[in-house]
Amino acid sequence: MARRDGIARGALIASCTPVLAFLLLPSLVIVPMALTKGQMLQFPPIWISTHAFTDYLGDPDWFASTVLSFKIAALAVAIGGLTGAAAALALHGKRFPGKGLVVGAIMAPIVVPLVVLALGGYLVFAWLHMVGGWIAIGLLHGTLVTPYVFISVQTSLVAALNPLLVRSARSLGAGRLAVLRHVIWPAILPGVAAGAVLGFAVSFDEVVIALFLQGPQTVTLPVRMFTAIQFELTPKVAASASLFLALSVVVLLTQAAAMRRRSA
Amino acid sequence: MNITAIVARDPAQATQRRGHRVEVDQVWKSYTPGTHVVRDVSFSLAPGEFLTLLGPSGSGKTSTLMMVAGFEDPDRGAIRVDGRDVAGLPPERRNFGVVFQGYALFPHMSVLDNVAFPLRMKRIGAATRRRAALEMLEKVGLADFAARRPRALSGGQQQRVALARALVFEPDALLLDEPLGALDRQLREALQIEIKQIQRRVGVSILFVTHDQDEAMMMSDRIAVMDQGQIAQLGTPDQVYLHPETPFVASFLGETNLLRGVCVAPEEGYATVRFAGAHGWARISRGRARPNDGDAVRVSLRPERIALLGANDHADCAVTGVLTDRVFLGRHTRLVVQALGQSVVVSTAALLAGSLDVGASVRLGWSREDAQILHET
Amino acid sequence: MAVRALPASAQLCSPYWLLLPVGLLYGALALLPIAVILRLGLRDGGSPLRAVLRSPLLLRAIENTVVISLLTTVIAVLLGLLLAAAVWRAGPRLRAVLWACILLPFWTGVLIKNFAWASLLQDNGVVNTLLQTLGLADAPVTLLHNRFAVIVGMVHYVLPYAVFPIYTTLRAIDPALERAARSLGAGRRGVIWWVVLPLARSGLSNAALLVFIISCGFFITPVILGAPSDLMIANLVDYYVHDLVDFDRAAALSLLILAAIAALIGLQQALPKEGQHGTA
Repeated sequence: MARRDGIARGALIASCTPVLAFLLLPSLVIVPMALTKGQMLQFPPIWISTHAFTDYLGDPDWFASTVLSFKIAALAVAIGGLTGAAAALALHGKRFPGKGLVVGAIMAPIVVPLVVLALGGYLVFAWLHMVGGWIAIGLLHGTLVTPYVFISVQTSLVAALNPLLVRSARSLGAGRLAVLRHVIWPAILPGVAAGAVLGFAVSFDEVVIALFLQGPQTVTLPVRMFTAIQFELTPKVAASASLFLALSVVVLLTQAAAMRRRSA
Repeated sequence: MNITAIVARDPAQATQRRGHRVEVDQVWKSYTPGTHVVRDVSFSLAPGEFLTLLGPSGSGKTSTLMMVAGFEDPDRGAIRVDGRDVAGLPPERRNFGVVFQGYALFPHMSVLDNVAFPLRMKRIGAATRRRAALEMLEKVGLADFAARRPRALSGGQQQRVALARALVFEPDALLLDEPLGALDRQLREALQIEIKQIQRRVGVSILFVTHDQDEAMMMSDRIAVMDQGQIAQLGTPDQVYLHPETPFVASFLGETNLLRGVCVAPEEGYATVRFAGAHGWARISRGRARPNDGDAVRVSLRPERIALLGANDHADCAVTGVLTDRVFLGRHTRLVVQALGQSVVVSTAALLAGSLDVGASVRLGWSREDAQILHET
Repeated sequence: MAVRALPASAQLCSPYWLLLPVGLLYGALALLPIAVILRLGLRDGGSPLRAVLRSPLLLRAIENTVVISLLTTVIAVLLGLLLAAAVWRAGPRLRAVLWACILLPFWTGVLIKNFAWASLLQDNGVVNTLLQTLGLADAPVTLLHNRFAVIVGMVHYVLPYAVFPIYTTLRAIDPALERAARSLGAGRRGVIWWVVLPLARSGLSNAALLVFIISCGFFITPVILGAPSDLMIANLVDYYVHDLVDFDRAAALSLLILAAIAALIGLQQALPKEGQHGTA
C-alpha cells in the first residue's frame, strides 16, 4: 500500500503544479519586465537594460515617493509594534469571558475593507486638519500593522514565555524591571522583529488609505504606481515593482527563519 | 497453572474453533537501506487463536502488524490467509479488523454510524447494517450509547466501540495494536478479560501487539517475543516464561538469574554445567543447536524457582552460599545470595527466610527443569 | 490562613493597562471614525442612507460585488483545498517549498500583483504570446479590462487566505482515522469522502467566509484589471468621495458594508459547528 500511496501523493502534488505556476507567475515576470530596453513592457525582454531602474530612481517625484513610503512604513511599524506587542503581552496566559471578542477586535483591521477604514480615517483627520500629512497615513497604517505584530508576538510568547518562568524569576529576587529585561523582552523579541518586518511590508504596499489621505506632497510610491498603471504599463513601474518584490522575499525569509527557530 | 488452562491453550484444540489461518512467512522490512526493522519473521496464527507479538518499542512488532494489515509492504516474504497470498491487496480488501492504540473512532459520526461504517463500505443496505451494528453493540454492552458521539464516551467504552467496529463485518482476523496502551491499570485489566470473553463469544483469531509482558501472559494462547526485528522465541506463555531460550527473552519476561558456566557433556535435552564452585544439570531447548562440550554458556534460573533447602533436603542441583541481602515484600521475601561466584536472587515464600540474617550460610536448590541453557545470539 | 495560589496573571508583569495603546489607537482611528460615519450616514433622519439605497449604482455595485466575490470564493476554496491537501501530504522538504510558493505572493502587495497580471494579460502579454505560439489563438484575445481579469487577480490574491484555514483542519485529522477507514473497507476515495472532507468542513466554511469577506472589500483590482462596468462596492465609496465629493453618502454606504460583514460573521458564528470538536 505504501507504494501506491506514494503514487497517489505524487499525483496530488503534480495536480497542484498549475496552481503553483498561477501563484508564482506574476512574481516571476516583474524583474525580467523591468530589464527590457524599450518603453513598452515586454516578456521575454528583448534587450537587457537597466534603464528602467535609472529612470525610476532618477525621477525626483518617484524618488521622493519612495522615501516617503519608507518614512510612513517606519512610523506605522513603530506604532503598530508598540500596540500589538503590548496587547499580546497583556492577554498572554489570561483567560476571561469575552477574550475571543477582544482578540477578534484586535484582528479586525484584516477583514474590515480598507475603503471603510480609509474613509473613516479621512473624516477624522480632516477634522484635525491632518489630511495630506504623512503622519496621518502612518498612524492609520499603524492600525493595519497591529494585528500582524500581535499575532507574531503572541506566537513567540506561547513558544518561549512560560508563566512559571516569570514566577521563578520573581522568586529568585528579580524585580519587575529585571523580569521585563531578562525574561519578557528576550521572549517577545523574535515576535516583535518578525511582526515588524511583516508590518513594514503591509504599510509599504498599502494603496487605498494612502490614496484617500494623500496630499500634493504626500504621494506614496504605491499611489504613484497605482496612478501610473491606470494610464500606462511601463518598465519604470516594473522597476519600482521589483523593489516591492524584493521586500516580499525579505518577509518570506524572515518567516522561514522564525519557523525554523520555532521548530528547533 | 491448572490442567484445564493448559489444555485450553493447546493450539491443536484451537483449530476446532471458527476463524481463519493467517500465515506470515519469512517477512523482511527495512525503511532505511542496511537496517531491517523486521528480519525474517515467520509465524502462523491458527483459527481462533490468540497470538501476541510481545517486545519493547522498536522491536518490529507494530511494523509486522502493519504489514499484515496492509499498511506497509514487506520487502520480502509472504502473508497468507488460508493459503491465499494477500501481499498485493490494499488494506480495504484484506478483511482484517484493526483496532488502533488511540481507537481511531470517527469523531464526526455517532457510535452507531462508526460501527455500521464497514458495512456501509460493503454496500449493505441501511436497515441491515443498522440491525447488525446494534447487535454488535449489544455484544459489547453499549447498545444504549448508539446515538452518542465517541467523544462523549469513556476510554474503556471507546475501546469497546472500536472492537465492535472491527468485528461487525466478520473479519478473517482481528489485529490489535496496543489497544489498551492509553488506559489506566484497573481498566486495562478489566478490558483484558473482556477482550478474551468477546473473542470466545465471536470465535475470531486475534493477533495482538503489546509491550506489556503481564498483558501478553494473561491473554495469549501463544506469545512471539520480538527483539530487534526478529522473533526471539515463540511459544505458550509458560514455555516462554519457564524455558526462555535467549538472554533477551529470559530478562524481558520477568526477573531472572543469568548464571555463567561451562557446558560439560551435553546430551539430548540436558547438559551438565560447571559453575564456579558447583556442578548442575540444566535443560537444553529442543530445536536449538546444542552447545558443545567445553562451551561457555549462560543459564537462566527464575528467582522463584530456587528453593531454600534445609540441611537434609535434596534437589537436582544444590549449592551453598552466603546471604548478603534480605527484603521482606509481603507475599514473598527477596534474598540475595553470594553463590556460584556471583549474586543470585531468590524469591521465596518460605517462613524460614524470615529468620535468616545477613551473613548466614544458606543452601539453595533447584530442579534441572528450571535451569535453562540460553542460546547466545 | 491557607496559602492561596495567586493567579498567573497576578505574577506576570503584564497588567491589563498594556491594552491601553491598542485601545487608544483603535479608539481614535476605528471607533471614532465609525461614530463619524454613523453620524454622517444617518444625518437628517437617514436621508443619505435612503439616497444611497435608491441609487441604481448601488444595485449594480452590489450585484457585481456578490457575483464576483462568490465566483472568487468558489474557485479559491477549491484550489485552496487542493493546495492545502498537497501541503498536508507532502514530506517536510517539499512542504517547505510549497509554503514558499504560497507565501511569496501572499506577502506581495495587491498593487504589484495586479500590475503583473495586467502586463501578463495585455494584448501583447505573456499569456497571449503563449496562446498564439501554441496555435490556440490567431489574434490576441482580450483578457484584460474585463470580469475574467478581475477574477484572476482576486483569486490570486485570496488563494493563500483559503489555504490557511483548510490546512489547519486537515493537519488536525488523526492519521489513524485514515488507516482505520482503510481497514474497514474504504478505498482511497472513500477515505476522502467519508473521513477527510467531513472533518475538513469547518476549515472549508471558515475559508469560504474569510475569502468572501476579503473579496467584498476589493478596490484596487477592479480598477486595474476590470472594465468600468465591473465597479464593486468599495469603488462606489471611492466614487462618492472623489467624484461626487459626497461624504454623507459615502458614509452611508460604508455603514451598509460594515453591517453586511457583521451579519456574515454573525451568521457563521451561529451555524452549528460539527467536525473534530463535534457536540455530543
